[in-house]
Amino acid sequence: MDEFSIFLQIIFWGLYAGCIYILLATGLNLIFGVMKVVNFAHGEFLMIGAYITATVFFLTGFNPFVILLLSMVVLVGIGAVVERLCFRPILGTGKLNEIFLSIGLIYIFQNGAAMIWGDAWQSVKSPYESMTVPIGPLSVPLDYIIIMVVTAAILCGLFLFLKKTTIGMQMRATSQNRKGAMLVGIDVERIDVISFGLGCALAAAAGTLWVVSGQVFNPYMGSIPAVKAFAIIILGGLGSIPGAIIGGLLMGLAENGAAFLLGGIWKDAVSFIILIVVLIIRPTGLFGGKEG
Amino acid sequence: MQLTRENVTMYGTIAALLIGAAIPFLTDNMFIVNLAVLMLISIIFASAWNLLAYSGQGSLGHAAFFGIGAYASTIIAVKFGITPFVTIFIGAAVAAIIGILIGLTCVRLKEWFLAMVTFGFAIIVQTLTVSVLAPMTGGWDGIPSPRLVSPSVPGYQLIEYYAILIITIGAIVAIWYIMRSKVGLAFLAIRENETEARAAGVDPVRYRLLAFGISAFIAGVAGALQIHHIGYITPELYGVDNSFWPITYVILGGLGTLAGPIVGTVVLTIIWEGLKETGLTFARYVIIGVILILTIIFLPKGLVSLPEQVQEWVKRRKRKEPEGEPVAAG
Repeated sequence: MDEFSIFLQIIFWGLYAGCIYILLATGLNLIFGVMKVVNFAHGEFLMIGAYITATVFFLTGFNPFVILLLSMVVLVGIGAVVERLCFRPILGTGKLNEIFLSIGLIYIFQNGAAMIWGDAWQSVKSPYESMTVPIGPLSVPLDYIIIMVVTAAILCGLFLFLKKTTIGMQMRATSQNRKGAMLVGIDVERIDVISFGLGCALAAAAGTLWVVSGQVFNPYMGSIPAVKAFAIIILGGLGSIPGAIIGGLLMGLAENGAAFLLGGIWKDAVSFIILIVVLIIRPTGLFGGKEG
Repeated sequence: MQLTRENVTMYGTIAALLIGAAIPFLTDNMFIVNLAVLMLISIIFASAWNLLAYSGQGSLGHAAFFGIGAYASTIIAVKFGITPFVTIFIGAAVAAIIGILIGLTCVRLKEWFLAMVTFGFAIIVQTLTVSVLAPMTGGWDGIPSPRLVSPSVPGYQLIEYYAILIITIGAIVAIWYIMRSKVGLAFLAIRENETEARAAGVDPVRYRLLAFGISAFIAGVAGALQIHHIGYITPELYGVDNSFWPITYVILGGLGTLAGPIVGTVVLTIIWEGLKETGLTFARYVIIGVILILTIIFLPKGLVSLPEQVQEWVKRRKRKEPEGEPVAAG
């Protein structure tokens, strides 16, 4: 019974951590799918999203789950500016160039944030902090359940957006065949801006959920989740959103399992060990067949 | 004097050597000599990263090899009482072997997959250093490392400076030799077009591993030098920052050129230390980030291409002048 509940606890932690990774990885996948750009600085958008939510929360005391929307909207704007000023001029000059440019962005965003908010670790107290819901032998924090619901809602929203709206269909078309999309009259540069903005908004959502769950944050927190998100989309297959969801959940579970079995210090290393092992066995990822 | 590429390179090399040799005589300020030492080490490190990039492989975790070289050299020097001048190269050899092993996992991967793997690898190595290997490495607290030249020797700072200068020159000459040799040609061929390289009889896997090994070796030398210069080693050596600096230096100076890492390191170090004087902290990094992005967008071949860019710009200006005027012979 006791061991079983520890096991359940780990699963639950893993699912919750997985939600944040899924949002981050889906955003990256969207950007990669449409623009074929490797945005290594994606974690910085998570960090900015986290700070925006926290700042508005400290100032107004609104429910942070409502501020999530505001944070996403702001990040659409920031993302659009970054795409226009930084990534568009170097589009098509090679993946390594994009990574190097991302390093510049990482420097700017991390330390810009440190200039504005300071570099100390901070945290936010959720309004539902002390509430728990009994599930089987566990009492699960209400926050975690809300986070899972919010993640599911965002993903459903994204799915409907991609399937039903004109812009969504244009995004899918551009992602499938950029030249073909141009031929049928789609303004691919506009689609680029929109995809990048949306990807950043998903990162902001991930950042908000990070903050709301009471985890600490500082300006340098973004890099490692971003690389893990990359590991996830490599595991799940490039450009595959279902792959990102499954990969994200697996990563969250593996990490928390390892942290429990081997000690917390292994939490970060384990995800990269998984990545390296998978790449040795299947260089194209677990579910993916397409080459990047 | 005509500003051709050969001229610039030759005079630049002579000037750099003279300045390098003269620094201790120009100033009594040990702070500047110390800074020069760290700059030389950064030049070695950046050149190592550059060589790997020359073969088309971008590593985001070179701090791993820097740190492995440093730790291996320190531990061997302490355990067996060998002089650091020898253990530097043993440590670097350890880094090279591990570099080849990690290279083995990446050689068949896309260029940016490799970036992820190397980035993750640095984190894995750091985790190992502070957990399983902690009895040897001292965990997060680190361990003292023997100085390259014992502080009890009179003028030890100067001896150390010239020793490191000579090793730096040795590393650069070695890289120059590799780039000019058939091996360097093979690296270029793989980078430009792997299929054609294979058709021409170049085995990409072999040469990629070779590039990994050499690059990790030189990075290991740089790491060991830095640690024996400072006299203390901590796992912070494996930090992301330490992986990103050589990239920044090389991009600013000029990717894939011999002079690029040198020019980039010198210019950035001067900017960095100059900004320190103004009392900026976080803003320094923001400025470096802006410089990096502007370089990538507007000067993709780095500072070493600046003379050519200026010449081209001047030529274009001349062409725009009214017709009838003779165009000066180039």
